[in-house]
Amino acid sequence: MTMPLTVPLTVRGLRLSRGARVILQGVDLDARAGEVVALMGLSGSGKTTILRVIAGLDAPDAGEITAAKTGMVFQFHYLFEHLTAIENVTLAPMHVHGATAADARARAHGLLEQLGVGHRAGALPRELSGGEAQRVAIARALAVDPPLLLLDEPTASLDPARKNDLGDVLRALAASGRALVLSSHDDDFVREHATRVVVLANGVVVEEGDPRMVLANPQHAATRELLQVERASRR
Amino acid sequence: MRLVAAWLCVLLLTANAHAQAPAPLRWGGDAEGGAPFVEADPSDPSKVAGFDVEIAELVASRLGRTPQFIQIAFQSLDQSAKRRDFDIGLSGVEDIPARRQSLAASVPYYEFREVLTVRASDRERYRSLADLRGRKVATLGGTMAYDLLLEAERTHGVTAVSYDEDVHPYSDLALGRVDAVVLDHVLAERAMRRNTGLVTHPEGLATGHYIIITAPENTALRDQVDDILRDAMRDGTLERIFRTWNVWNEDQPVLFSRVTNAGSALATGIRDPGVGSRTALRAYLPSLFRAALITLALSCLAMALAVGLGSLIAIGRVYGDPVTKMLLTVYVEVMRGTPVLLQLFVIYYGLASVVRLPAFIAALVGLGLNYAAYESEIYRSALEAVPRGQLDAARILGFSNLQTLRLIRAPQAFRLALAPMTNDFVALLKDSSLVSVITVVELTKQTQIFATNIGSWLIPGLLCAAIYLAMSLPLGYLARRLEERWRMPGQ
Repeated sequence: MTMPLTVPLTVRGLRLSRGARVILQGVDLDARAGEVVALMGLSGSGKTTILRVIAGLDAPDAGEITAAKTGMVFQFHYLFEHLTAIENVTLAPMHVHGATAADARARAHGLLEQLGVGHRAGALPRELSGGEAQRVAIARALAVDPPLLLLDEPTASLDPARKNDLGDVLRALAASGRALVLSSHDDDFVREHATRVVVLANGVVVEEGDPRMVLANPQHAATRELLQVERASRR
Repeated sequence: MRLVAAWLCVLLLTANAHAQAPAPLRWGGDAEGGAPFVEADPSDPSKVAGFDVEIAELVASRLGRTPQFIQIAFQSLDQSAKRRDFDIGLSGVEDIPARRQSLAASVPYYEFREVLTVRASDRERYRSLADLRGRKVATLGGTMAYDLLLEAERTHGVTAVSYDEDVHPYSDLALGRVDAVVLDHVLAERAMRRNTGLVTHPEGLATGHYIIITAPENTALRDQVDDILRDAMRDGTLERIFRTWNVWNEDQPVLFSRVTNAGSALATGIRDPGVGSRTALRAYLPSLFRAALITLALSCLAMALAVGLGSLIAIGRVYGDPVTKMLLTVYVEVMRGTPVLLQLFVIYYGLASVVRLPAFIAALVGLGLNYAAYESEIYRSALEAVPRGQLDAARILGFSNLQTLRLIRAPQAFRLALAPMTNDFVALLKDSSLVSVITVVELTKQTQIFATNIGSWLIPGLLCAAIYLAMSLPLGYLARRLEERWRMPGQ
């Protein structure tokens, strides 16, 4: 069992290079239970890399990471294509955590219902819409009950109504005592649903705080540029 | 102008000269059959030597033509005669009714005995076919001796083993793979010189004759050949040839006097009512189906071996350390880069001094090892086609590498591999016909025996094709159904 941490994530001095390219050069980041932390930054600023390093998929060159048990939802979901929605959710509880099939199924049904895709339990991933697949992926990550949930670009392929639904889901998850860290390009979504924004530029954190403040009154040139690019791309 | 005219004259003259020169007498035989019939001349392998070579030369010279040798596989001589690949064919060709029915055949020119050869230690134990109940007895496929053994399968309970050539029956006898060989005494005597520890019982199990064949419609040439053979029997030429090759014996003068006194009646006299093709069909159908079962069993088992081994190789190449990967790559490239026929020979004959595999097992292992290389490549690419992101997702969820392979990667790879696997299985079904070279009588071999015996490929060929299709078509159908059910995204 993982100890219930009030600070499920602490990152200090994270550095990572790929060949000659420096991606992260000393990133500090915390996420407390109940928080929805949004990582923002231009493409290539290292958002996805931070998430992958926290999840243990990539090894950093230097830095300290203290993370509780972590779940991750990928931008392209990466559901197991040969399994139905509910089988995707029950696989890890049954084979990694030794849950009985009945218990795993009951819990999976509950999660899928809670996320609004209970009626799609028997569908194969290829039969799901993008939004449905994302919810199944969230359910899969939550099935092993991680205190820390990472989401890579969760808003990327959702229409505005779906984005709001997702925001509600994420805030409810945070309210139940989890820490959420997500990467996003969407400042409207971040302003509406994140409790804190962390702006990255050139591999360091340049600005962070309450999204309503930071995004309304950006202090750093990189944040201003980011907002301009985002707004231009939406027109 | 004068020069051009002179040139034209020369050209015309030479063309004319060409037209008048008699065409060479093309004669077909099998140099692989070896001495004393036809063999590559040890001092000049581009030439052939043997008593059949000398008889062909004799016929050619008495026809005023030059002999031209054409290499034809022994089992294909009849078909080649019909196709007129050669004018006359001789290479220890036996006088059997089916041959006389479908071809123009000469008078017999040599009498042989079918004799039983055993290991010296078994000299007393195995004196006749009746002593060999439950034992393997080898011979050359498509010959009188083979028919004799099929008969003995029914009457004495022996197991007939058919070879494509006459060398390995005796070497396998010496090795203990078979317990006796029945073949022409000419072949037996030669084999005794090559293999030590073998004895041949002198009394014949049956008597047969060698003949010369021509295309069925070429009876004119056949009649000329008959006259030449009779003359050569009378004037001692044939005796001289046979004495040169040490195959002259007391049976020949008797044959010669019978042939020379019989006139043209002999050839027609031998003409046997033969077996009608419908009777033959009934007689051969059960053995054809038995052979089909062997093809099917061999293919299924070899495929199972290939799938199992291929999976391990693929996993080793995806997950293994660099040394493992390199060794497996070498295996795959060697197996794919050399003919399966060669691999079968090596496994069955080449390794015989180390491990004496039964023919069916050697066939199974040979095909299995070969196809494992192909299967492993399919599985490797299928494993690598499963998106990395799914493997990342599995890792974060806490699956071990083995669990990820078993629960996530392999099931998806299997679905991707299914179509190419089905292809390979159908190919294997057909490639399994190659194992006849190591004495396994499967469908194609049985068809060949059938065709040789009734003297036509038409019905046996169609039947054989129908049986192969009956085995491969349902497979293709099943695979298509499964593929639709398991269709992967992007397919």
